[in-house]
Amino acid sequence: MRIHKMTAALIALGLVATGATACADESGGANGTLKIGLLASLSGTYQAIGTDIRDGFQLYLSMHGGELGGHPVELVVADEGDGAPTAVPAATKLVKQDKVIALTGVVGGGSAAAIQPVLAQAKVPFIGSNGRPELKDITHVWHTSYLSQETGAAIAQYVKDNVKGKVFAIGPDYQGGWDQLQGFTDAFAKAGGQLANADGKTLFTPFPATKNFTPYFAQIKAAGAEAVYTFYAGAAAIDFVKQYSQSEVKDLPLYAAGFLTEGGVLNAQGDAARNVFSVLNYSPDLDNAQNREFVAAWKADHDGPPTTYAMASFDAAAVLDKAIGAAGENPTSESINNAIAGLGQIESPRGAWQFSKKTHSPVQKWYLRQVRPDGRALSNTVVGDLATVGE
Amino acid sequence: MSELDPYLIPALDGVAYGLLLFVVAAGLVLSFGVAGILNLAHGTLYAIGAYVAAWLADGGWAAVPLALVAGVAASTAAGTALAGLLTPVKRGDHLTQALLTFGLALAGGSLLVSAFGPDDLPVRVPAVLDRPIDLAGHSYAAYRLVFIVVAAVIAVGLYLTVTRTRAGMLVRAAVDDPQMVACLGVNPTRVRVGVLAVSGALAGLAGVLGAPIIGPGPSTAATVLLLSLVVVVLGGLSSVGGTLLAALAVGEIQTLGVALLPTTAPFLLYAAMAVILAARARGVLRRWSTA
Repeated sequence: MRIHKMTAALIALGLVATGATACADESGGANGTLKIGLLASLSGTYQAIGTDIRDGFQLYLSMHGGELGGHPVELVVADEGDGAPTAVPAATKLVKQDKVIALTGVVGGGSAAAIQPVLAQAKVPFIGSNGRPELKDITHVWHTSYLSQETGAAIAQYVKDNVKGKVFAIGPDYQGGWDQLQGFTDAFAKAGGQLANADGKTLFTPFPATKNFTPYFAQIKAAGAEAVYTFYAGAAAIDFVKQYSQSEVKDLPLYAAGFLTEGGVLNAQGDAARNVFSVLNYSPDLDNAQNREFVAAWKADHDGPPTTYAMASFDAAAVLDKAIGAAGENPTSESINNAIAGLGQIESPRGAWQFSKKTHSPVQKWYLRQVRPDGRALSNTVVGDLATVGE
Repeated sequence: MSELDPYLIPALDGVAYGLLLFVVAAGLVLSFGVAGILNLAHGTLYAIGAYVAAWLADGGWAAVPLALVAGVAASTAAGTALAGLLTPVKRGDHLTQALLTFGLALAGGSLLVSAFGPDDLPVRVPAVLDRPIDLAGHSYAAYRLVFIVVAAVIAVGLYLTVTRTRAGMLVRAAVDDPQMVACLGVNPTRVRVGVLAVSGALAGLAGVLGAPIIGPGPSTAATVLLLSLVVVVLGGLSSVGGTLLAALAVGEIQTLGVALLPTTAPFLLYAAMAVILAARARGVLRRWSTA
């Protein structure tokens, strides 16, 4: 008796399944399905960022009926892993085997640089949503994120105007850290600011080896700084902020690139992060229609608010949506790339922005945020507008 | 005095860091020295304790003993399970041991990430300890100060256990002459299981207490394993004192060393290790290492 019931249930299930696929096939009939590749770190050190990037893109798709530019989209997701050694084979598979019409995502700048030859050969447009490396040929490369130097450049004038005295600059010793800190120190010097660092140069800490920042805090105190500017991300950001709050320099205002307190790290930092000032191109409490819709949809199936990583990937989907729509009836990689070049302003949760003709990255406004309690949790609350950066 | 002033807090912090590494490395020394097992999953045992602490600690005092008991129990159980899995591997077959335990460390790390998520977790300590306190005109994290006291007590306890108790005597005997210990009627399997359980307990204890210092996250196990291996190389295998000195040295190199020699600090740790290895290979330190 039981077995009969189960067989019946299985048959019913089978019927439903075939019915469902049949429906899906029909709906895909009008316009051909397009394959888009998404490459992001779904394992390893950057798993949290990679997951945000995947979810941001998928959220846009699900909010738009699984279509971009009137075409049903099949999103092929691949794991970038920790960097180039895993990213290159994954990208090669997406381009050669899956024959995706465009590629998006990519967490690491190193990965983004390493996959360029594969993409350039196939002329597949790359709409990156995070790490942006230094590249010679950007004909097919677009980024919805930012250039590393822009973060610090956007807040330099504000720090100069609001800190009475010298500022200590400290950051991690790798390409991303050098770019982030250089963006700040160059613009800060131009604004007439003075660094408190002993030789006038940024203090770079070994990365990722540094777990204990206490000795550096002793140096900051000895240097007589009135404030600190920094950039760290991930585990280093947690250690830095937690230790800063109980250190000798705990009373000095801390200014940072927004990644210091962005996403999961803020939860781990807890109260230690309270009052930290940071600069970023996004905050979940920005007051515009796109953002309200985006945040509400995101919160429906996530615990916390969306991050800038999720937002940039959401925007990559929006860019593709517009570009595919403008690329004619049978979009190709080439026509999509040309259409991206012709896009005007893009309405986004971060506010409207557009691609720079020169750098293929956003000309966008940056915001000053402060970590403040929002209900029971802490949140990066926008406290003001900073510069619009990009050329 | 004023010239030494900026180095006071880094030096103190080096002690906190060193004592934490000592408790972890003591477990590693025990499993290698006594049972002859090269346990590359030792960092994972620490991570288990740290994750348990993050999971249970809610900022109240009641959670402290609870996290201690649960964390130590979990790591002890994991250590015992490890001993069971290592049963077919011959004593001294370090390559197989390393491969097996490294594989288990990778699998264990993935399990922890899938259970607790890919983010580094916050660890809430009781509010009284979660603030800086004033120390000769400097401020220092209260928790770390208390940690120094607790870890010092653990270190003394370990020293007394090894030097003054029958179990400790057995441990020292097993390091010096395992065959003789077996002839005396002590079952080597029981020694191995016991040693890995205690080694797991030490890692778990360090994990729970050290979670606010080296917190639980995907990279915790690797960090802790690497540092405690350095301690083992520096300190040798046969004395609690040697391990303690080495752990404190590693702690100071990573704090005071960074404050004094910021540019060379990244290399100091490994330079020290290379010097010790070279010296020991020439027999300079033989007397010390068997003392």
